[in-house]
Amino acid sequence: MNTEVIAKSRKQADGATLESEQRYKRLLDSVTDYVYAVMVEDGRAVATVHGPGCEAVTGYTSDEFGTDQTLWYRMIREEDRREVLEQAERILRGEEPPPLEHRIVHKNGTERWIRNTTVPRKDAQGRLVAYDGLVYDITDRKQAEERLTRAHAELQANEEALKRTLEELKRANQQLKETQLELIQAARLESVGALAAGVAHEVKNPLQTILMGLDYLVPNCPSDNENIATVLTDMREAVTRANAIIRGLLQLSAQTDFEVKAEDLNASVRRALRLVNAQVIASKVTVVRKLDPHLPRVAVDRGKIEQVFINLLINALQAMSPGGVLTITTRTARVGENVAVGETASRHFNQGDRVVIAQVQDTGTGITPANLPKVFDPFFTTKAAGLGTGLGLSVVKKIVDLHGGAIDIQNAAPGGVVVTLVLKAGPEETLSSPKEVGYK
Amino acid sequence: MKPMNTEKKRILVVDDEASITRLLKLNLEQTDDYVVRGENDAKAAVAAAEEFEPDLILLDVMMPDVDGGELASRFQANPKLSTVPIVFLTAAATKGEVYMRGGKVGGLPFLAKPVEISEVVACLKQQLGS
Repeated sequence: MNTEVIAKSRKQADGATLESEQRYKRLLDSVTDYVYAVMVEDGRAVATVHGPGCEAVTGYTSDEFGTDQTLWYRMIREEDRREVLEQAERILRGEEPPPLEHRIVHKNGTERWIRNTTVPRKDAQGRLVAYDGLVYDITDRKQAEERLTRAHAELQANEEALKRTLEELKRANQQLKETQLELIQAARLESVGALAAGVAHEVKNPLQTILMGLDYLVPNCPSDNENIATVLTDMREAVTRANAIIRGLLQLSAQTDFEVKAEDLNASVRRALRLVNAQVIASKVTVVRKLDPHLPRVAVDRGKIEQVFINLLINALQAMSPGGVLTITTRTARVGENVAVGETASRHFNQGDRVVIAQVQDTGTGITPANLPKVFDPFFTTKAAGLGTGLGLSVVKKIVDLHGGAIDIQNAAPGGVVVTLVLKAGPEETLSSPKEVGYK
Repeated sequence: MKPMNTEKKRILVVDDEASITRLLKLNLEQTDDYVVRGENDAKAAVAAAEEFEPDLILLDVMMPDVDGGELASRFQANPKLSTVPIVFLTAAATKGEVYMRGGKVGGLPFLAKPVEISEVVACLKQQLGS
């Protein structure tokens, strides 16, 4: 090909290119959307042309972008600039990145969201000569999305708050039920106690008459009549039982003295054990003591707390067959840290409270689930007639309540029953320095 | 004037329940160690005591006109009776309370009703040093 032909071809080609660029410029001008084109040479962006649609989106005119080549970059929100540059670099490397959504600052100072879609333009040899960008203002959509996200988050927060409220309501309802049950039980004990206190005196005097009548009749009745002897013995046992009921009912009432002093609970356990020693021997059970030697003193009425242990020990002894094991444990604990005091007890103490725990455990037959809720009811008993008044545990509960303590009765895992008594520990002091902390 | 038979101790029982004073008298006198006078009228008890000159007074606590505590004060304030030991017999306390109080109320020993005659006798012997 000669020089003239080459020059002619080049002139034709330049003409075609020019015509193409002019046609593209006309196309760009006629599009109302924000369209821009970036010219590329040797893999580098060399110039940018913005269509007239740019003004509607950015506030800046094509001319302003034309005279200030870095305006497009400065217009991008600082936080989003890195992403925009990465998108441009990927196009220049020959990739086709997905549309990018980012923020710009409008000429009037407001923040706008745009969606920037780029399309590479290549020559016949596949080299990148430019890339076109199409920009949509998506501010309204973004704001709607943000509102939606906020609304969704609020909804979620509200839903969680509702769930929490519902849980709290359930817990409160449960506590209310338990408190109501306790109140009913307390009211029942109170009314029984008040009634008992009223009639105790009236009943004890006739009992005294019967008892002394028996005392008189026994040596004066014919000794050869077995029936008379049996009748007199039965009558004496009946008086003893009636008196035990009166005593139990009086203990249920608040009519007896309540004298609180700092006491050694281990000593109370030992004294109670001594008092039931005859029954221990007769029951042929083994007694295991696990008494914490460093137990802090507890503010209790000694007589009443010993009554608690005596009642619990007698119950345990009567529940077991020969060969059984009666275990008494005392220990110190802190509520919530190294002890779970149970749902009921947890209402009597605060987290971190120092408490003394005493447990009486037997290896008997246990209590049926149906009977467990009734064990503190006055006159409830599963013992054979004459063996129990059904007041022992009611008295225990009453005394524990008087001390602001908690009591829990459960079937033990290996069989039998475990009674847990929780009392607030007194101030830190040694067992050798008793100190009066209560009142009469 | 105090009767000649000083071997038997003289016990005045003051209780508003006639059956109790009667049975205490029957039971105690049956032992041959005591002479018992029962008095059911608390207001007349001081005069009865002056006349009877007891070695010990068994005194009910809850009585309708004068309670046992008040009556005990009257006995102690009377020069003729001030040294006579008094033992309360009461339906107002339990045996547990008797044990916890070391068997005393207001400094005086007491027995909780219902009480067996053997316990009454043991208490009388202790108080009278017999």
